[in-house]
Amino acid sequence: MSCSPFDLRDYFLRELSGPQQRQVEAHVKTCATCREELERLGFTQAALFALRDEEIPQRIAFVSDKIFEPSPVGRWLAGFWGSAARLGFASAAMLSAAILVYALRPAVPAVVAQRAPQQIVQTVSDAEIQARVDAAVARASADWEARQAEKNKQLAADLESARKTLQWAAAELDFSQRRELRNRVLTANYGGPNENGGGK
Amino acid sequence: MIFRAAEDADLIRQAARGSVEAYNLLVSRWEKRVYNYLLRITGNREDALDLTQDVFLKAYQNLRKLDDPGRFAPWLYRIAHNEAYSMFRKRRPETDVDEIEPGATGAGITVGGSAVFPIELSLAVESALGRLTPDQREAVVLKIYQGFKFEEMAEILACPVSTIKSRLYTAFDLLKTELAPIKARGVS
Repeated sequence: MSCSPFDLRDYFLRELSGPQQRQVEAHVKTCATCREELERLGFTQAALFALRDEEIPQRIAFVSDKIFEPSPVGRWLAGFWGSAARLGFASAAMLSAAILVYALRPAVPAVVAQRAPQQIVQTVSDAEIQARVDAAVARASADWEARQAEKNKQLAADLESARKTLQWAAAELDFSQRRELRNRVLTANYGGPNENGGGK
Repeated sequence: MIFRAAEDADLIRQAARGSVEAYNLLVSRWEKRVYNYLLRITGNREDALDLTQDVFLKAYQNLRKLDDPGRFAPWLYRIAHNEAYSMFRKRRPETDVDEIEPGATGAGITVGGSAVFPIELSLAVESALGRLTPDQREAVVLKIYQGFKFEEMAEILACPVSTIKSRLYTAFDLLKTELAPIKARGVS
């Protein structure tokens, strides 16, 4: 049984920390029993080292050797799925391709699509586009002029109605003034009704 | 050794990214150590060579699962340990793995049934190692010949450090007894 502060075998196999190692070393200097035990361990280890490592009889086949070469499909799949960076790059490439296709696809005119979707053509010339634009502008202009004419007509009718109303009001005023004047004349010439109950 | 570990880590990273050349270089660096480890726990060169081949192929297939390149050595030896014990089980499925002895005869490392080390001490060491249990022998091989720390051995063998120490120290006591006559005869 060892009297060492730590297991001599741990010390011998270099599994102790630095301070522990130093404590054992200090102890061994003063303890013959522990020194002898260390010598036995040392001899055992030296004997074990007499068994030398052997050279490998033949080289281990490399993964690049023909026997380990995967099929082209397997190699592509391994390369593609084995890397997060490659997956990210593939995703970005697919997204870019989708954006490019969307941006470069031919525009389908709305009028054509509404009136005759079966007659949508793949390519539309500039002249056709200009003609369609001109026609749409002309239609819009005619619609605007028609709406303006209708508004003017309605305004003229409203003005005529107002004029007639004013004429009627003026006639009524004139009639009223003349009746007032006649009443005054009659009152002055023939006497009006006696407010005290008797005439002159 | 530190430089070598750093270089290994770089090679492992490159190999994990698909560099076959980097992995081939790793194989060149480690094949002898792995082969000798397997040779000492199987006791048969052909088996050790076949197993070494399997170990490096399996390691290549699983290299991306290795999170820390600094743990490559224990990880690689864990694969080697599993491959060896898998072979033991296939060959003698009815036998407890702990009962299996290297070389099947306990007479040390053999090729075609004959010992290949004529030196007396080597034979004595082979014989002494052959008398250990497989677990004890593997602990000695990993510690003495491969130089792993207890924690790395626990990782390789998937058992607590206390178990590792128990196996190793029991083995050392047995080896001291077995090899004492050699020392008494002055061979060292």
